[in-house]
Amino acid sequence: MTARADILARLTGTATPAGIAAEAAALLIAPERPRVDPAQVEETFLARLTLSSVAATVDRIATLADLPAAIARYCADQSLPLTLCVPPDPRLGQCDWTGFTLHDRAAPDEPAALAIARCGVAETGSLVFETGAAAPMLPNFLALHHIVVVPQVVAYLEDATLPGAHPRAHYWVTGVSGTTDIEGTYVRGAHGPRFLHVIRLG
Amino acid sequence: MSFATRVDEALADRNLKLAVERTAGTAEAKRTLAVDAFPDFDAARDRAAAIKDHVVANLGHYLQAFEANATAAGAQVHWARTAQEACDIVVRLCKAANAKSVARSKSMLGEEIGLPHALAEAGIGRIETDLAEHIIQLSGERPSHIIWPAMHKTREQVSALFKASHRAPHEEETIAAMAESARRHLREGMLAADVGISGANFLVADTGAVCTVTNEGNAELSLVPPRMHIVTAGIEKIVPSTGHAVHLLRMLSRSATGAPLSQYTTFYTGPKRALDRDGPEEMHIVLVDNGRTTMREEGLAEMLRCIRCGACMNHCVVFRQIGGHAYGGTYPGPMGAVLTPAFDGLKQSRDLPNACTLNGKCQEVCPVRIPLPTLLRGWREKSWREGLEPASLRSGLGTWAWFARRPRLYRAATATALRAMRLMGRSGWLTRLPLADGWTRYRDMPRPTEESFMAQYRKGRRS
Ligand code: SF4
Repeated sequence: MTARADILARLTGTATPAGIAAEAAALLIAPERPRVDPAQVEETFLARLTLSSVAATVDRIATLADLPAAIARYCADQSLPLTLCVPPDPRLGQCDWTGFTLHDRAAPDEPAALAIARCGVAETGSLVFETGAAAPMLPNFLALHHIVVVPQVVAYLEDATLPGAHPRAHYWVTGVSGTTDIEGTYVRGAHGPRFLHVIRLG
Repeated sequence: MSFATRVDEALADRNLKLAVERTAGTAEAKRTLAVDAFPDFDAARDRAAAIKDHVVANLGHYLQAFEANATAAGAQVHWARTAQEACDIVVRLCKAANAKSVARSKSMLGEEIGLPHALAEAGIGRIETDLAEHIIQLSGERPSHIIWPAMHKTREQVSALFKASHRAPHEEETIAAMAESARRHLREGMLAADVGISGANFLVADTGAVCTVTNEGNAELSLVPPRMHIVTAGIEKIVPSTGHAVHLLRMLSRSATGAPLSQYTTFYTGPKRALDRDGPEEMHIVLVDNGRTTMREEGLAEMLRCIRCGACMNHCVVFRQIGGHAYGGTYPGPMGAVLTPAFDGLKQSRDLPNACTLNGKCQEVCPVRIPLPTLLRGWREKSWREGLEPASLRSGLGTWAWFARRPRLYRAATATALRAMRLMGRSGWLTRLPLADGWTRYRDMPRPTEESFMAQYRKGRRS
């Protein structure tokens, strides 16, 4: 017998697929979770971003046309050159990047990378991403400064999940790369970003 | 080395006690804050347990659904009955990919099946990318905790290890500078690796996704650049859908570190798509049984709920005194004392279930409500039935004797045992006493006063 057949032979059950599906669905009715006031989703998200476990800085823009100026402000604050890894996202084509040096492949020691999240999550202050032709993943982990545009905010993690077929990666970023592995002392920038800057769009 | 010897060595090591106290104590405090901020946490634990029980009851169904969906997404699914089969599959895949080096993202299952050793035997270079696992790899040790594997190491020891092995090590003796040195060193290795190997926190049946959770982001840096991503996962890691994973993620991070969510939660579904800019060309998922179907059949199904959060060990009075290495298995603490006899055999590990006060603290904090004390008692009874206890301990005072010979442990144990006894007391009289099982089978003991004699004595002397 193959390993597969052997293992499955020991795991036979009598429940029908429909019965199992009904039970699984029932287990998700009204889940307990920290409550997010529906009238305060935006405020809750912004408050979460400033928690010490997330520790993001925040800016706000009305349209994507304002994005280069917002990034220039951040770079000036952080004494960074106007050099940026940007994803090949057509939405960024409408921005005037005069004064910036842009590239779309992240270097091993990339100083700063820009990404557009699908949404932010108020419950946890998470930023939600999916990989695709216009959205590589690696720059978001290589860069020291992770700069993220957030066009939309949802209340709960469940609202951020993807229905249907998934892309290669669907991921939630909640803060910066951190470790407490040496004597329990918290250090930011263990492997990935040390700084997270959120630019709320709209 | 016997368990007793390892415990005695651990008890003699004052540094170890400080290190364990510091990390476990912080984790305990942070968990308490997180749970206090989540009003329905107890009901949420019931739901988490019910989700896991539902999966374990229908495991065959869900494994096949996961296999079908992961395959449809382009991943290749492999099945392994034993640790050896699992390691063989991984080594074969690495060799087929002509891999010189693999980057491994921390996985307790990988430790359980002996993957680091198997890769070394096959001559495949391995870099551990979790900072603590990196430290452990350099020191040639095993993890001493499932969340903080290097919790027993001091900063001076870490500094010396890094200076001996990093190309451009830190100059300043600060923890931040040491972490920076590891960042430089490990990044090179991750970007150069041919294969990335991870475990899975969850396998999502209805999408075929594999979910990893880290605070460092090392999983993503280990798994995106290489040509091949190999996952080794226990078959109990299945969840029906992402929604079920969300519920368990809320429980996992709060119970482990006190955070509402870990920094990086990633769902990987199949290999790189045609137009993707990055990601591996191949994704392989090895579903590992290694005793789990037997646990399910033979009375340990509840243990398959475990989401490896580490809360039970952080709150365990024995673990806090002796640390993780003394347990001798892959998994330490209360969950390890239940799992190790299942993996290694009761004969070799029958001391582990004895090294427990049955104070119930682990069960109280377990996010999936595993009745750890009951399972430990089950092992004790089995050990008795099978005549594995030496004659000297067959008086019925085996556990008591085990503690009584170690005064420091005994004091810590009795302090919490008193608490447990008060909870267990009925109308002032106990019918069962954790540290003297054999005795109370035949006579009742009076309910203890609020503090132990020693504690009252010390207080009396102070006032
Ligand atoms: S037994 Fe419970 S508390 Fe212990 S690691 Fe597993 S889930 Fe966490």
